[in-house]
Amino acid sequence: MKKNFLLTSLMMLLVIILAACSSSESSSGTEAGNASGNANEKTEKTDSKEKQVVTFWHSMGGAGQEALNSIVESYNSSQDEIQVNAEYQGTYDESLTKFNAVAGSDSSPTMIQTFEIGTKAMINSGQIVPIQEFIDSDGYDMSGLEENIVNYYSLDGTFYSMPFNSSTPVMYYNKDAFEAAGLDPEAAPETFEEIIEANKAITKANPKMKGFALQAYGWLWEQLLANQGALLLNNDNGRSDTPTEIGWSEEEGKSIFNWVKQMVDDGTFANYGTNGDNMVAGFLAGDVAMFLQSSASSRDVIDNAPFEVGIAYLPHPEAKERQGVVIGGASLWMVDGKSEEEQKAAWEFMKYLQTPEVQAQWHVGTGYFAINPAAYEQQVVKDAHAEKPQLQVTVDQLQDTKPSFATQGALMDMLPEGRKIMETALESVYNGGDVDEAYGTAIEQFNAAIEKANAARGE
Amino acid sequence: MSMSNPGIPSSTEITEISFENVKKKQRVKSFTKGMLFLLPSIVLFGAFLFYPLFKTMYLSFFLTNARGETTVFVGLQNYIEMFTSPIFHQSMKSTFLFVLYTVPTTIIIALLLAVLANEKLKGIGFFRTIFSSTMGISVAAASVFWLYMFHPSIGFLNQILSLFGVESIGWLTDPKWALIAVAVTTIWMNLGFTFLVLLGGLQSIDSYLYESADIDGAGYFHKLRRITIPMLSPTLFFVITVTIINAFQTFGQIDILTQGGPQNSTNLIVYSIYREAFTNYQFGTASAQAIVLFIIILIMTIIQFKLGERKVHYQ
Repeated sequence: MKKNFLLTSLMMLLVIILAACSSSESSSGTEAGNASGNANEKTEKTDSKEKQVVTFWHSMGGAGQEALNSIVESYNSSQDEIQVNAEYQGTYDESLTKFNAVAGSDSSPTMIQTFEIGTKAMINSGQIVPIQEFIDSDGYDMSGLEENIVNYYSLDGTFYSMPFNSSTPVMYYNKDAFEAAGLDPEAAPETFEEIIEANKAITKANPKMKGFALQAYGWLWEQLLANQGALLLNNDNGRSDTPTEIGWSEEEGKSIFNWVKQMVDDGTFANYGTNGDNMVAGFLAGDVAMFLQSSASSRDVIDNAPFEVGIAYLPHPEAKERQGVVIGGASLWMVDGKSEEEQKAAWEFMKYLQTPEVQAQWHVGTGYFAINPAAYEQQVVKDAHAEKPQLQVTVDQLQDTKPSFATQGALMDMLPEGRKIMETALESVYNGGDVDEAYGTAIEQFNAAIEKANAARGE
Repeated sequence: MSMSNPGIPSSTEITEISFENVKKKQRVKSFTKGMLFLLPSIVLFGAFLFYPLFKTMYLSFFLTNARGETTVFVGLQNYIEMFTSPIFHQSMKSTFLFVLYTVPTTIIIALLLAVLANEKLKGIGFFRTIFSSTMGISVAAASVFWLYMFHPSIGFLNQILSLFGVESIGWLTDPKWALIAVAVTTIWMNLGFTFLVLLGGLQSIDSYLYESADIDGAGYFHKLRRITIPMLSPTLFFVITVTIINAFQTFGQIDILTQGGPQNSTNLIVYSIYREAFTNYQFGTASAQAIVLFIIILIMTIIQFKLGERKVHYQ
């Protein structure tokens, strides 16, 4: 009898748990995110009920999260009207997915950080308030910000989101390995052809070390195109009209594939697939001498390498002049449907993030740029640049960039899909696949994806 | 009865009608009672299984925007595109290969371990714990652990290989190896659960069967083939069904180890659905793929029940 009773109650409990689990499925992701939020922020939240709370979803892990948390903390303690709760929501993709699920409900955040290729999707979503409204009503001056960053984020003179963390790709190289191979560690190779030659010297000096690693990462593909002055999408990268097909020429696209193919054939190419962490680990372990990666990792890489790390500009084919890079990284979006006070508070925080002091701290702590060039005049930055001149390179590369539609970057809502397509194509070349075939398939799929995205919008 | 007795038609008719009535009433009553018992599961299944199922079917005929709202009705276009897409073909091929790699291997290894661990030896509890320990490890933790094992240069596996002078293998970057690497991870992860269920099955076999066989002078392998396997067949049947369904629905280890790469060689169907829906925001295409997965699993399960029931020996 007792046993039966126990069993039934257990069953009942199970049913209740099951029901509870399923019904909260859609919001469980956000709850997990909340839970992982900073513990001290939680306690602060409870003893400050009158403060205007701003929920800030971000995607900064590792060193970036530490730097961001300390900025948020110092903002919260600097005044007593606004309480910012920074919540880590996973990668940009994951965070965007969660946002789409909760948008328009009470669980949606006040502001969200989204990557640059999500710009068009966010505008089309109808869930955001253009930042321009706040700029106008507040009379805020955006002209103080870095010119290239302003170029990317303003569309027809309107700011939809507030630039925040911007980075560009740079080439990291192992100076000790360069020296061992008899290369000049202060003059990194600048073109694809020079890299091929340097690779041979490095592998000859140390057969255990590969010369170059290119992560199969669509973002790097976009950057290598832009550096040649090539467009990713037609209609001026989607800035003058909705794109209908790819914008680069066969010569521009294939130069990258052929370069990779050459290195693979030489046996000087290290294949880490799509995994950036493995690539960095391989670099730090001395398995590969050069790789391309976001400048945002520079602090991590320099601090952890047991050898001297050099940072250089993104390479380009010899036949093309270097045009510079597209702003990568992310911006902050104001979410629609929140109270005016809450949005105002978020706006105040956004402005705080642009101040030279905060930007200086951010730049030094991570390797992202200072959005506000005035930050470079701050003593912290000067000291850091003196100590780690590599950080300076990332800034120079951005400021040397020639403004054009190519370096302004593309706008389209199917860009994440496009990246995957290019990654697959690059991987097939890494594994000895035929260049023409891989390239041809990729173009076909890329154009089909553009077509489908246009069709889905019902225009 | 009423026909044979026309003299008193009205009374018999009445009793007959009331008899029918009572029968009907009772049927209604027992139906309501049955429904009441079923209500909790109908509500739960309806809300969390049937409604999503029909919604998925509905979505598969549309194109959607980033929030998953339908925009354009395209009829069967999503299905046509899917069946003509080389990426989907690759995905189906990988999925079936993956099932083929993981299911038999998992069950054979788990069965071997279970038979070993079923022996009454000193300290066997220790081994039983070790063998079933992977059950306590989450998919995420196990995948990260294997991710480091598979690391191209500093990974444990490649270091062992280099000790023997074998050239290192791009476990997760070479399309020839990636699916095998993911399969190895999955087998390792599923082993604990399968082992535990099979061991439970073994222990519930009555020992008198073995005693009579001993008296008859049957050898170890004879007993294994004639007693252990037949008596274990209901458990084996359960384990096979569950493992196959799990293999079709593999997601976590793919997401962490390869993200479907290299060259889509590990883009198993559930990962492909995830990517369509949450990276490409094509919920229509994703729904069409989900329907295909549903049909495949449905067919597999029906086949298993038809074939399995004949072979399974319930005591």
